[in-house]
Amino acid sequence: MRFRRNLLGSFLSFVVVVGVWQAIITFGHVAPYVAPTPLDAWRSIVENWSHLWPLTLTTVKETVFGFGAGAALGMGLGVLLSKRRFVQRVIYPILILSQAIPIIALAPPLVLVLGFGLTPKIVIVAWIVFFPVTVSVLDGLANVDRDLLMLARAYGASPWRTFLAIEVPSASSSLFSGLKIGATYAVTGAIIGELAASSGSSLAMFQHAQSAQLDAAGVYGTTLIMTAVGMGWFGLVALVEFFTTPWKRRSIARRAGRHI
Amino acid sequence: MRLVSLSLYIERVELSPVLTLSNTEKTFGALPVVAPTSFSVERGSFVSIVGPSGCGKSTLFNMIAGLESPSGGSIELNGGDISGRTGHVGYMLQKDLLAPWRSVLGNITMGAHLTRGVTREDEERGAALARQYGLGEFLAHYPNALSGGMRQRVALMRTLMTDHELLLLDEPFGALDAQTRFEMQRWLLDVWHSTQRTVLFVTHDVDEAIFLSDRILVMSERPGRIVLDLTIDLPRPRRTAMLTDAAFMGAKRAILSLLHHELGE
Repeated sequence: MRFRRNLLGSFLSFVVVVGVWQAIITFGHVAPYVAPTPLDAWRSIVENWSHLWPLTLTTVKETVFGFGAGAALGMGLGVLLSKRRFVQRVIYPILILSQAIPIIALAPPLVLVLGFGLTPKIVIVAWIVFFPVTVSVLDGLANVDRDLLMLARAYGASPWRTFLAIEVPSASSSLFSGLKIGATYAVTGAIIGELAASSGSSLAMFQHAQSAQLDAAGVYGTTLIMTAVGMGWFGLVALVEFFTTPWKRRSIARRAGRHI
Repeated sequence: MRLVSLSLYIERVELSPVLTLSNTEKTFGALPVVAPTSFSVERGSFVSIVGPSGCGKSTLFNMIAGLESPSGGSIELNGGDISGRTGHVGYMLQKDLLAPWRSVLGNITMGAHLTRGVTREDEERGAALARQYGLGEFLAHYPNALSGGMRQRVALMRTLMTDHELLLLDEPFGALDAQTRFEMQRWLLDVWHSTQRTVLFVTHDVDEAIFLSDRILVMSERPGRIVLDLTIDLPRPRRTAMLTDAAFMGAKRAILSLLHHELGE
């Protein structure tokens, strides 16, 4: 029910965005070589599809692999740093430093080491994604109810079981916040990587060429594709959250227990 | 001959106390929190501890639960020393500490989940227990959908499921409204009576202590020590009418005068 309402909401916001866009073009008398109508942008996507499709696939790959690596690294670091306070004191400033480096300036040194392939883009995406994940995991684990941990200890639970049974589910809300922030950044990272560490064909370079040819509809169409990749990935992460945290939206579980 | 010795053995086990504290004390740094304290709890009895805030009741409980080691003295459960060792008694606090991500049944079986993994048998036992004590319709509910009283019932079921003979209940009804608390007290007596556990109960509420207990230990201000060990001579099952009984009032007067004395009145 709530799922369907969310879907309807997303559809309506899509209609609003396209409507406002169309209105600006129509009532602002914007020339087609400055900015296209939504339909022109769509047409350009369809016309260039055979060329755009493999490039899109590459961007999706960079986004997904980079996100996977960044999320895994972020979670691992978050857990390590929360369990070892001394390691946290040493590592945390380094993490902040890593985020202070302008991401675009990261590309040239990466290219020197990793070349122009998929790897430097994945590293750039992971570089951006891991940070909000680490911070959210640290936050989530720091806010686990102390009394609940004490109760687990009174039951004689091992640290590992306590971690799985209490700490992970307690921190899941916070973790998903970090993952969703990471998901929206991931595609941005992939495009920056394509711009800064790309020799050949990529979505970012293709758009660059379209821009040089004053192909406004093409530029907007390619931006739409990039946006769709980012939103699709965010949606997938949100969907995983939806299905793994049923207690946030239901008052009754599907099953009382694992066995009955 | 053998039969006689067996029955003697059984008698001895039944008469021996479940819990024995001998000169148990706790100091944090230079601060004495619990003065050397000795008492025993008989098998199957309901014993309450009352005392002013900060008198070390919770520290005493934490030591019995093994969460803190005593600075001196010993804590014996059925003759074995359990100081500093967890997992030997059931423990329940004022906060219900239910896991919001687990169903009522999932919370009832939390002990198994935390120590060895939940089996089908655990769940069937938990469900039977829940049905017996009025939670049968709520097995699949998440805790957020339950009232405060219901949540405390789930927390007590979780404590019962651990199969420990001794249950430590630290102000379990302290956060409930008067009406719900009264219902919960009678419900607790029902559970205690039918499951034949031994209960050590901490409360601020003198009426609650007298209504529930066989025996009441009154603690002094910090560093806590036992200043009165009072047996409550009221028949069981306890009835509401007993709240105005002469024996009830006598016990209340004795405890309150001591508590007020402790508070310097």
